Amino acid sequence: MTTKSEWQEANRALEAEDRQRLGEPPAAEEVLAYMRGELPAHEAARVCERLVAYPELVRTLTAEFPAEGAEPGDPDYMPDDEFAKHWASLQRRMPRKEPGRVLQFWPAISAIAAALAIVFGALYWQARTERAVPLVADLQILTPDGRRGGGDEAVPLTAQGDFYYLVVSLPGTPVFDTHRLEIVDASANPPRSIWSTSVLPRPSSEIFPILVPRTFLKPGKYQVVLYGVSGAREERIDTYTVRVRGR
Amino acid sequence: MTKDDRFQHFYQKYYRRIVRFYVRAFHLSEEDAEELAQDAFVRFYGAMDEYRGDAEWAFFETIARNVAYNRIRSQKTAKRSGKMVDIDDPGFAHEPAAPEGPDYAQREQDEIRSKRLREAIAGLPAGKRECMRLWLSEYKFDEIARFMGITVDAVKSRLRDARKLLHARLGDADALPEDEE
Repeated sequence: MTTKSEWQEANRALEAEDRQRLGEPPAAEEVLAYMRGELPAHEAARVCERLVAYPELVRTLTAEFPAEGAEPGDPDYMPDDEFAKHWASLQRRMPRKEPGRVLQFWPAISAIAAALAIVFGALYWQARTERAVPLVADLQILTPDGRRGGGDEAVPLTAQGDFYYLVVSLPGTPVFDTHRLEIVDASANPPRSIWSTSVLPRPSSEIFPILVPRTFLKPGKYQVVLYGVSGAREERIDTYTVRVRGR
Repeated sequence: MTKDDRFQHFYQKYYRRIVRFYVRAFHLSEEDAEELAQDAFVRFYGAMDEYRGDAEWAFFETIARNVAYNRIRSQKTAKRSGKMVDIDDPGFAHEPAAPEGPDYAQREQDEIRSKRLREAIAGLPAGKRECMRLWLSEYKFDEIARFMGITVDAVKSRLRDARKLLHARLGDADALPEDEE
């Protein structure tokens, strides 16, 4: 007789196979649409199948949520003095509003000089510590798909240095207080996310520079995806398709 | 009441319960759960202006689950920054110790058996297959029902059908043991 734990072991092995076959878990907005029953049947089946390959993610959707909040007098109700402490740390996290900001032509180079790049931490550190020669990164400003003209082919990355210094510009995009970036390997079948940021406040410079070690991107096609994040909503704003040529 | 006042009241009412939810549901440390809760409240604060309705808690639930989903998902996506080692590095080259555990023939037999089970699960019809796999991942009937958007009775019925199909395919020897929640 096969025990339940043997069946579970087989199921875990099947999960590993499915993750290879189906790629990354669905994005949060797909999952939200799935849970609200807003997807057509074939899309819903696809999201469901991918989620089942990542059962720990299913837990985020099904775990029992507290039914109600605590009222004053309840031990769960946070006293004012404790809130005051939390409030200070919350303020630091909150995206700063910049009233009167005008989104128009964007002076790219000066903004880049002032911006802090999002770097691929571990790889960047490794390159810094292992290399005796200075790091070189050629800057490349990305134009969104559909706005490039010329047949809108994927933009070849031309950097000759150790890094691609990719610049995603925000002017002209819908205004969100926070954003998220993702890099998708579009050559993979199915395409899969290979890197993503956490939620980032919209920078005052109106750009997101990304410093990508060249070794991270093998020859092929990639998409840098810009999301706008607002509360539970995550909206895909722009996609920048690039191509890395063989070396 | 100003936006900040509303937010303060909401935060004081729900903060501790949401931290406990994260600890319990995702087995997070208190510190990680607090971090996640702060993230959820910040997003809630940012969305308060655009939200119009009475059920703030339901709205917050969506945000809180979404924050947890993104966190766990990004942990899976950001895992590809492993340290590279040179295969010629003398510190890397070493004779691996002989593995402990069952001998080769036994492992081979286990693998064949596991493959049969995997193929049997994968061969179930869609719907029944997902119910069975979530049940094997220790989800309760009501959780599966919520995820699949069906009733608890429908989950039980699909699981019964799935068991029958597995039994028909594999016979008694590999029958799935009966098990309640």
